[in-house]
Amino acid sequence: MSDKVEAVKKLFTSQSSRVETNKGDTYYQELFDKCEARLNEMRSHQPANKLDFTDLLEDNGIDRREFMKWASATTAMLMLPPMFTPLVADAAVLMNRAPVIWLELQDCAGNSEALLRADGPKIDEIVLDIISLEFHETLQAASGHQAEKQLEEAMEHFKGKYLLFVEGAIPMAMDGQYGTIGAKGETFHDHLVRCAENAAAVVAVGSCATFGGIPAAAPNPTGAVGVMDVVKNKPLINIPACPANPANMVGVILHYVLTGQVPELDSLLRPKFAFGYRIHDNCERRAHFDAGEYVEEWGDVGAQNNFCLYKMGCKGPMTFNNCSIVRYNEGVNWPIGVGRGCIGCSEPDFWDKYAYERPMADAKIKAPTGGVEKTVDEFGLGMLTAAGIGIAIHAAASTVAGKRENSGESHE
Amino acid sequence: MKQGYTQVKRMTPAMRIIHWVNAICMIGAVVTGLYIGHPYYQTFMADGAVDKYVMAWNRYGHFIIAIIFDVTSVIIAYLYFFSRFEKPYKKLVPNTQNITEFKAVLVNLLTLNRKKEFDSSHADSFNTVYFTVFHLLLIWMLLTGLQMYVHGLGSGLSSIGAWWPWMLHLTTDWTIWICGGTLMDVRISHHFTMWLILCWVVFHIYYQVWRTIFWKEADIAIVIGGSKFVKDDSLKSE
Repeated sequence: MSDKVEAVKKLFTSQSSRVETNKGDTYYQELFDKCEARLNEMRSHQPANKLDFTDLLEDNGIDRREFMKWASATTAMLMLPPMFTPLVADAAVLMNRAPVIWLELQDCAGNSEALLRADGPKIDEIVLDIISLEFHETLQAASGHQAEKQLEEAMEHFKGKYLLFVEGAIPMAMDGQYGTIGAKGETFHDHLVRCAENAAAVVAVGSCATFGGIPAAAPNPTGAVGVMDVVKNKPLINIPACPANPANMVGVILHYVLTGQVPELDSLLRPKFAFGYRIHDNCERRAHFDAGEYVEEWGDVGAQNNFCLYKMGCKGPMTFNNCSIVRYNEGVNWPIGVGRGCIGCSEPDFWDKYAYERPMADAKIKAPTGGVEKTVDEFGLGMLTAAGIGIAIHAAASTVAGKRENSGESHE
Repeated sequence: MKQGYTQVKRMTPAMRIIHWVNAICMIGAVVTGLYIGHPYYQTFMADGAVDKYVMAWNRYGHFIIAIIFDVTSVIIAYLYFFSRFEKPYKKLVPNTQNITEFKAVLVNLLTLNRKKEFDSSHADSFNTVYFTVFHLLLIWMLLTGLQMYVHGLGSGLSSIGAWWPWMLHLTTDWTIWICGGTLMDVRISHHFTMWLILCWVVFHIYYQVWRTIFWKEADIAIVIGGSKFVKDDSLKSE
C-alpha cells in the first residue's frame, strides 16, 4: 500500500520530462534485490493462463540467443543497467501472471491492431500474446450478457491486481450517450469508471485514451476527453502515439511485473523511458536539418536523397517519443524512415496543432475565438499592415494640421 | 546652441549602447528566427552536408542574440529600479501624476500636437509605459524561447551541467500551460510575439520621428547624442 502511495505521489510531483539515466549503484542494487524478491513471489503464483512463454518462442522459431538479445535491448529501453537483463527475461516469462483487462472506447481499434501486430510474430508481440488478457471487447469470442459476466468475474477474481488498459476517448457530451457498450447500454464513461475502481493501475493506450486524440479534435462534437480527465486517484500511465508502440506497452507491463510499480512519468504521465527523448534528436535525417537540406515537395531530388522533412511539416522537433530509436514493428521502419514527416501523434491535441503537414509558420490556425483560420504570418502581417495604415493616417493628418498651424494664428 | 533653447540630458551612454545593441539584435533575431520557423532560402545541392550547416548557423546566431538579450534585459531590469540617472519604475506607478501625464501625452498624439499640456523635457509616463510593454514582450520571447531550447536537452544534461536544463524547466515550463497546453502552442506564441514586437517597433520609430518633427525639440537626437533641446519658455511655463 505504502508503495502505491509513493508511486502516486511521485506521479503527481514529477514536473518535467527530465530523465535520470544514472541513479547510482546503491539505488540499482536495492532495486535489483526488490525486483528479484518480487519475481520469486510471482513465480509461486498460479499462472492466469496456460500459455508457456518458452514453448511459444520455440513454436515461433525464436532461439534463446535471440530472446536474450531482446531482453538486453528491453533492459536498455527501460533505462536499467545490464545486470537487470536476466530479471527482464524472467519477467517476460512471468508475464502470464499479470492479469490485464482491456477496454475499447471511442477509437479505431488501432492500438489493438498494434497489440496484435503479426507480420510474423516477434518477441514483443509474443510477450503481449501471453499476458493474461482477461477481457478484451474486440478480441474475445463472448458477447452480450456473456461478455458482461466474464468482465465481472475477472474484476472480482483479480480485484486490486489487474492492469486496466484503455483504448479510445471518452465522449462526455450528451451525458456520454455518444458511446454505449454491452447489453445494458452502459455509457463509456460509466463503464470506464466501474472498471477502474478496482484496478491496480490504469494504462491509457494511444492518443485517444491519453489526450482525446482524433475524437477530441476540433470541433469535438462528442465532447471527447482522455482517461486522465475521468479517472482520478489511481496510478495512471499514458502511452500516447497513434497507434501506441507495442514496445512501450511491453515496457510498461514488464516494469510493472518487475517492480510492482508504475515507471517514472513525466508531467503528461508518460513513462520517461519512452517519452523522455525528442524524436528530432535521434532522427537519422537530423544532419540534413542542420545543413539546411530540406525536401521542398514530395518526390523532388531532396526526397530522393532522404533530406530533412521539416518543410513538409515534420513535427519531430516538438515531439517526444522513442520511435526514432525503437521504430515500429520490431524496428522495421518508422514514419520519417519511409519519407514522410512526423505528425506529433504522441503530443496533446496533435490533430489540431501538429498534424497539418506543413511548418507551423505556414499552418492555418484557429484564432482563440474560433472561426478565423489564418497562418500566424498572415495574421501578423495583417496586424503590421493595420499599424502601418494607422501610422499613415496619423502622419498625413499631422502634416495637414501642422501646415494649418504654421500659416494660421493659433501658434502659441 | 540655438538661441532660446536649453539642452537636457535624456539618455546615458550605457542606455544608448543598450538601445542600439537591442535594435541590431532585433533585426538579427527576426532574420534568423524567420529562417528557423520556415527556411526561406535553399542551400546549394552540390555542396556536401558537412560544408553547409545553414540551419545550425541560423540557430547559433539566434541563440547568441538571445543570450545578448538576456544580458541587456537583466541590466535594464536593474536600471528600472536602481539607475542613478532616472528610475523608470517611478513613471510606471499608477499615481495621479503619472496617469494625468499619460493622458496628456496621449491627447497630444491624438490631437496631432494641438494640445501639449505636459513637460516634454524629461521622460514621460506614456513612453515609459510603451517601453515597458516592449521589455515585457522581450521577456516573453526569452521565456518561450528557452522553453523551446530545453526540448533539445531531453537527456537532462548539457555541456555546462545538469543544473541548466533543470533551471530552464523550473523557470519556463509554465509557459506551456499559459500558451494552451502543448509544445506547439509555445512555438506559435513565440512566432506570433515576433509580429507584436515588429508592430511595436514600427510605431516606436514613427512616434519618435513624429515628436522630432512636430515638437521641434530634436527628440531623435536623444538616442544618438543623449540629449534634446527644450524651449526656455516652455520650461518656465511648467
